[in-house]
Amino acid sequence: MSGSIEVRGLTRTFHTTVRRPGLAGALRSLVNPERVAKHAVLDVSFDVAPGELLALLGPNGAGKSTTIKMLTGILTPTAGEARVAGVVPYQERERNARNIGAVFGQRTQLWWDLPVRESFAILRDIYEVPKAEHAARLKEFDELLDLSSFWDTRVRHLSLGQRVRSDLAAALLHDPPVVFLDEPTIGMDVVVKEQVREFLRNQVEERGRTVLLTTHDMTEVERLAERVVLINHGRLMLDGTLEEIRRKFGSTWQVRATLADPHAEVVPPPGIALLRHDGPRVVFGPDGPDAPTVHQALKAVIERFEVTDIGIDEADLEDVMRAAYVQATGDA
Amino acid sequence: MAMVHAWRAARVTPLGELHAPPRMTAVLLRLSVQVVLVWSLWRGLYAQTGTTAGLDRDQAVTYAVLAVLASRLRELDQYTGRDTVLQHMHFGTIVYWYLRPLPPQRYYALRALGEQLYGLAWALGGYAVCLAVGAVEPPRSAAVAGVFLLSMLLGQWVLYYVMLVLDQLCFFTLRNNAAMLILLFAQNLLAGVYAPLWFFPDWFITMSAFLPFQATLSVPLSLYVGRIPLSDAALQIAVQAAWVVALALFTRWVWRRAAQRVISQGG
Amino acid sequence: MSLKALRIVWRVTALNFRAQLEYRTEFLLMVAIGAVWQVSVIVFATVLLTRFTGMGGWDSSDVLLIPATRMLAHGLFVLFLGRMHWAGRQIQEGRIDVYLLRPMPVHRQVQLAYFPTNAIGDLTVAAGLMVGALSRSDLDWTAGRITYLIAAVLGGMLLEAALFTVVASAALRFPAADYWGRWLEELLGTFGSYPLNVLPRAVGGLLTYGLPLAFVAYFPAAVLTGHDTAVPYWLAAASPLLGLLAYLGARLLWRWALRHYSGVNG
Repeated sequence: MSGSIEVRGLTRTFHTTVRRPGLAGALRSLVNPERVAKHAVLDVSFDVAPGELLALLGPNGAGKSTTIKMLTGILTPTAGEARVAGVVPYQERERNARNIGAVFGQRTQLWWDLPVRESFAILRDIYEVPKAEHAARLKEFDELLDLSSFWDTRVRHLSLGQRVRSDLAAALLHDPPVVFLDEPTIGMDVVVKEQVREFLRNQVEERGRTVLLTTHDMTEVERLAERVVLINHGRLMLDGTLEEIRRKFGSTWQVRATLADPHAEVVPPPGIALLRHDGPRVVFGPDGPDAPTVHQALKAVIERFEVTDIGIDEADLEDVMRAAYVQATGDA
Repeated sequence: MAMVHAWRAARVTPLGELHAPPRMTAVLLRLSVQVVLVWSLWRGLYAQTGTTAGLDRDQAVTYAVLAVLASRLRELDQYTGRDTVLQHMHFGTIVYWYLRPLPPQRYYALRALGEQLYGLAWALGGYAVCLAVGAVEPPRSAAVAGVFLLSMLLGQWVLYYVMLVLDQLCFFTLRNNAAMLILLFAQNLLAGVYAPLWFFPDWFITMSAFLPFQATLSVPLSLYVGRIPLSDAALQIAVQAAWVVALALFTRWVWRRAAQRVISQGG
Repeated sequence: MSLKALRIVWRVTALNFRAQLEYRTEFLLMVAIGAVWQVSVIVFATVLLTRFTGMGGWDSSDVLLIPATRMLAHGLFVLFLGRMHWAGRQIQEGRIDVYLLRPMPVHRQVQLAYFPTNAIGDLTVAAGLMVGALSRSDLDWTAGRITYLIAAVLGGMLLEAALFTVVASAALRFPAADYWGRWLEELLGTFGSYPLNVLPRAVGGLLTYGLPLAFVAYFPAAVLTGHDTAVPYWLAAASPLLGLLAYLGARLLWRWALRHYSGVNG
């Protein structure tokens, strides 16, 4: 199984009709529509190695879904190139389809009126999976996702969590080396989320599947992704490990201290700013581009002041991402 | 070939119905009531008239009852299954049709085949009962029966393409259930489901001759009741076959355009 | 409905109309479909009725009043209350849950779901048919007759709305009931235009007391033209009033069903 993803200069431009305001405008648009071009994805390049899980991050409307659609072969890029497991998806859609599995958020591919197991059987036929192999994989998925408790229920009667678990299983039943998941855990409770994460980790580590995942859930990113790609306004902003992102955008630590002498004059060490001073309680933060790391700052504060209590607040990933999104928006 | 492997897709409709017994009861009730109503209506209409538009009472009643039965062939509640093109476009799930190694047009054909076979079971059951109680006349000869079967098969084939064109429209423009309903009504009217086309004015019949709709139902049923004599059957069947070929080519072309549409907009 | 509520209704309707304009091809297509629809319905209604002259003792100048009344009532129903027909779909899609959160009656929100572009076509056909029927009629159109005809059309509209409201109320409990809505539409369309005395008594009775289709157009037309029906004269004459009562009853049923609404999909 060699499921690598290569993306080079991928670009997608959409042409949309501008709607003029008001009823008269709507009538005029009916007769003479005005069109504008919009870059949904612009010159995006990255690679995903076989057996790697990559999180594709970015604010809403950043171009994540468009990228995934191009990699699954549903959308043809305006420019650039993509290869998924050696196949150009939009040129050989059907060949690519055998190599990939995909789940698009809450959109289900299961047959609404049939029990879940019947949907699995139809997909088995469509993907031409041998019966024994299908049964074995279903058993494996059942152990991880607890499908058998509801797989004789019709899809219309499933809860969201049950349906998404079924959809995940349905997308992976033909053993695809590459898996695309567009916000798979959206709207699910913590227990199911954890179950899904466990399943994905298992599929990456044990089965060596390559997974490209988009999500807004930072806990998920921390638990699953080794690497992230950040895009905004269709452009690639960053491609690196979580650690790199933290270093770049996560310099928003705070050191809180209680001073022994509440009347002491507080002059912060270099590169550190005094954010708040309320009696004996002081809060420091980074100052300027050459600010020390949170650990250096902690040391510097203890060395300079006599403190009775000290603590640090490191920005969690959500804060880091917020900073990254905001900065990326400012840059664009 | 994926077509053979994916035969299970043809089971979706019958299986969905079997899993919902109330729906089957509803179909049975609706079919029975509709047959009784149509049967009494046409007998009532003919109460003061002998032969009109070349149809006597028994021919007209047979035609009307058979039309009700035949319309069962593909008039299920497709929307509850959420597997219509209209709904897939609405819910954004059309992408999955293009994410599978089975081409959408083959999947669609398999689904329709299963649905039509399932409907056929109902129609045949209904026909047997109607024949037994004398609500319809039997075919006048073995030759008529044979020609009718061939013509009905071609008619269903044409109907498949007509319904397909309506569904294909949803890829491009239709987002509206009401429009779909009106189109279905128009297709039924022009096919002669509500009333035999023979009753309509000449210009209407001439116009119909250039449209594919009468090939779906009016032609086979007219052959059955003898309104089209056996001597004309060959011509009519040839026209039906021509429609099958023309619509097959047309819908193939539209499928390609639909795929382009999905692929250029991402579903 | 207060003035403020009316303003909101008007504004949402205007927005809905604009939304219809958004999809350019579809809007133009709807207009074209409307034209096909008009021709076919007129042909259907007139052809059958004129071919079987004297059906049920009605001559062709009188009989056209039945489909004309029924179509006009139907067109008005589609324009003003027709979204009730699609309530089942809205229920299945879980939209009722959203409606329940807003400070506006659910019924009104169902009605405001979209603008019925096709009603324009329906009404045009119906008006044309009514003009045709009136011009062929030999009756003396006194003010009383005209008033009764208008009342009958409104009553027919309310009766049709009542029937679909009942189906929608059932769909709140059993979403699959939506299926019956489509059958109802078919029955109204195919059997609403005939003098029902051509049918056997039992079948006619079913369409009077089971599914009160006879009250939409057949009875009012019989009263106007002085034909006997299977029911007492006073009952046939009360058709418009019955339409109103049925509608009020259906709205009560809808309110009751909404109170007992337990959501779809658990």
